[in-house]
Amino acid sequence: MTHLSKFLDESLVADGLFRQLLESAPDAIIIVNSDGSIKLVNRMTELMLGYKRGELIGEAVEKMLPERFRGDHADKRQSYFSDPHTRPMGSGLELFAQHKQGHEIPVEISLSPLQTENGRLVTAVIRDISERQQARKALEQHARDLERSNAELEQFAYVASHDLQEPLRMVASYAQLLARRYQHQLDEDADEFIDFIVDGATRMQNLINDLLTFSRIGTRDGEVKKIDTNAVLRRVLSNLQLAIDDNHAVVTHDELPDIYGDELQLVQLFQNLISNALKFHGETAPEIHVAAREEGNQVIFSVADNGIGIEPQYAERIFLLFQRLHGKKEYPGTGIGLAICKKIVDKHGGQIWVESQQGKGTTFYFTLPTTTEG
Amino acid sequence: MDTIGNSGIRILLVEDNPGDVRLTREALKEAKVNNQLFVVEDGVEAMAFLRNEGEYADTPRPDLILLDLNLPKKDGREVLEEIKHDSELKRIPVVVLTTSRAEEDILKSYNLHANCYVTKPVDLDQFINIVKSIEDFWLTIVRLPSE
Repeated sequence: MTHLSKFLDESLVADGLFRQLLESAPDAIIIVNSDGSIKLVNRMTELMLGYKRGELIGEAVEKMLPERFRGDHADKRQSYFSDPHTRPMGSGLELFAQHKQGHEIPVEISLSPLQTENGRLVTAVIRDISERQQARKALEQHARDLERSNAELEQFAYVASHDLQEPLRMVASYAQLLARRYQHQLDEDADEFIDFIVDGATRMQNLINDLLTFSRIGTRDGEVKKIDTNAVLRRVLSNLQLAIDDNHAVVTHDELPDIYGDELQLVQLFQNLISNALKFHGETAPEIHVAAREEGNQVIFSVADNGIGIEPQYAERIFLLFQRLHGKKEYPGTGIGLAICKKIVDKHGGQIWVESQQGKGTTFYFTLPTTTEG
Repeated sequence: MDTIGNSGIRILLVEDNPGDVRLTREALKEAKVNNQLFVVEDGVEAMAFLRNEGEYADTPRPDLILLDLNLPKKDGREVLEEIKHDSELKRIPVVVLTTSRAEEDILKSYNLHANCYVTKPVDLDQFINIVKSIEDFWLTIVRLPSE
């Protein structure tokens, strides 16, 4: 008798290191012969399946399977015996063992052949994955819930902002019609009141439009593809030509690397940052520089200006929706530009942050992926 | 061949919001567009008007259609589709009035061929300019050689 076949003698197994190892294993371990008859089980097998050892030894291994898997198991077993090698069983399939009391246990099984003098045997290591599966299902459910609530929120913002425009348009249009027809026929106060109505309605319209733009970043995704960032920047600079000329601004840039992303969103991202740099300029004409540095599978972009700067305590707050640091007379705007930038960068799996010295200038940094893995 | 004549451009406005109907009327007045405005309130009425059905048996064919999108019974998208699939009606220029850019994008995705899209502005002056440009647009259309 060889060593291996001796192992299978229950009396030998009852002693020594091998027994301890086998019995303390966290997985159920069984050994089956070529007829499919169970030759050995460990303690964990008893615990997992609720059988006493004596109820399993000598029985067909199919006893451990749910009824519906028993039919073709013998065939599968034989084909494994004809070409045995160490591998997981039924990779990609969901496997189940059946407890003595009938309930099923999700399991993972790995098989290895054992060659002995008395023939070929197979060891099956069976791991109970109930907890792991429950955790995975809970996580999936959570992800689905989150996805749904996000979609609902975006849908809500979209519908609200869309439907709110109708009545607003009535208010603004008729106030303007009043002004057009009856200006100077009413008194000065009346003219001023009309101005306030029109101004308020126009501002609200801008807010709603911005909200709509913001919510659409989530709901209307373009195609993610390889993007020539230099071309994106050229387009942005041409969009902003008027503001650049008006401010006598100089915009320079490095040669920029390609990245993966949604082209329209990237145009919006660069455009918002550069138009901010144009808007928040100091005494001297704006000088803006766009640079990029590759690091691993991402690019760190920077948009630096010589403008008024941002106090450090506001470095986080500026990325929130409708947050503004200046009065409407000083610098107009709804305070959505950077919130849109953050949402776009988030959606691309990157990060955005700011470094600034008050009175000296501001540099916005953001990362974008150079691979589709993002 | 039709001419503008004294009655001006015949415009069919398909719009259910009285505020917008009046505003369009006022904007036409402010823009000094010589026009004859017909108004129907939903898509079913619009098609009846265009096909001279029922009470619209004697109405003239409009030179231009101003079409709102959100209409009762039959929405603007369906009306546009029917007009553009009707060999007699498809030559009438259709200007689609939308509430937002987003709505315009959605409509375009249906690939229906409106002649132009106008996002209803909050600003009255802007609206008057648009109405004015609709007149110019229409004059350009009638200057095109007839089929």
